[in-house]
Amino acid sequence: MAEKLEPAKVLYCGVCSLPAEYCEFGPDFERCKPWLVENAPDLYPDLLKEANEKAADNVSDKLQSVGISSGGADGAPSSAHTGGTSKKEEVKRLPGGKVKKKERQEVIIEKVVRNKRKCITIVKGLELFGIKLSDASKKLGKKFATGASVVKGPTEKEQIDVQGDIIYDIVEFITDTWPDVPERSIYFIEDGKKVQAA
Amino acid sequence: MFKKFSLEEISSQNQVKASVQRRIRQSIQEEYPGLETVLEDLLPKKSPLIVVKCPNHLTLVVVNNVPLFFCIRDGPYMPTLRLLHQYPNIMKRFQVDRGAIKFVFSGANIMCPGLTSPGGVLDEEVDAERPVAIYAEGKQHALAIGFTKMSAKDIKSINKGIGVDNMHYLNDGLWKMERLD
Ligand SMILES: [Zn+2]
Repeated sequence: MAEKLEPAKVLYCGVCSLPAEYCEFGPDFERCKPWLVENAPDLYPDLLKEANEKAADNVSDKLQSVGISSGGADGAPSSAHTGGTSKKEEVKRLPGGKVKKKERQEVIIEKVVRNKRKCITIVKGLELFGIKLSDASKKLGKKFATGASVVKGPTEKEQIDVQGDIIYDIVEFITDTWPDVPERSIYFIEDGKKVQAA
Repeated sequence: MFKKFSLEEISSQNQVKASVQRRIRQSIQEEYPGLETVLEDLLPKKSPLIVVKCPNHLTLVVVNNVPLFFCIRDGPYMPTLRLLHQYPNIMKRFQVDRGAIKFVFSGANIMCPGLTSPGGVLDEEVDAERPVAIYAEGKQHALAIGFTKMSAKDIKSINKGIGVDNMHYLNDGLWKMERLD
């Protein structure tokens, strides 16, 4: 008998699961980058350069801010400087400071049938309104007397899975419990389409 | 095939009769003689071979919750990409040029020019209606499992239209279904 075949070892990306060399064609290359710099620097030599440049940028940013504060101490800040600082504060003051700027603030509710009979209701996006998912999951479980848990969805983003079909009552519950979430920001996924709940 | 594939698609999941298991093992062995030395590890006679039936005449062969092979209707069994990555030499290879990679990732079938351009490579021995591993210019690992619509020679001479059907590709539903639990 011939010698046994040894399985080849393939480096799969810890973020998107693809072979690391294909991350650049994957769903979100940006998110893979930090992992790749750590684990596969030879595959993407440019990334390492990029990372180093960023680090250098940060240093120069810091130097600049030192410059601003010393200008302020002199009592003669230039208009450009004050413009710069107020802009920064504005960003900070946005409601729900934790919110990533890029992401649209919306809650997505989807019903999924498992094993033909069992059904779960998936709630995504509450965290975008500054709601702690673990708390929300507890409240949902209590209100609907069912199991609810925070799980990682397909894109590694956390979502709440609630056992059972609670789709008819959930919107009211969300808007009652968290008044910060407007009804018009809540959507259902129906037959693969996004439909506004309101 | 697996663009929108998920656990909900599974219509039945059965441990099949010993005779059927034997037949499946046999046809896999005939199709992929290179696997002979590891077949007993992959499809151990002791652990049950689970056959999962899905819509569109799709069948998955699953061992210990891991999908290893799939087939359409009575077609040949084809390995999942994760399995092929482990044993890359069990299939004939084609290579697409770099420009075609993103189309393969979107599930598109493979057009002849993507295989015949300078970045592409054809194994001239491959006939029509054969399983083939799809590689890519500048990459080491396969990115899709294809089923040829025409022979490699025809792909080269006709050089127009779809040359290979894209059966299973990186990040499709089957890829995401690393395990069935
Ligand atoms: Zn990745």
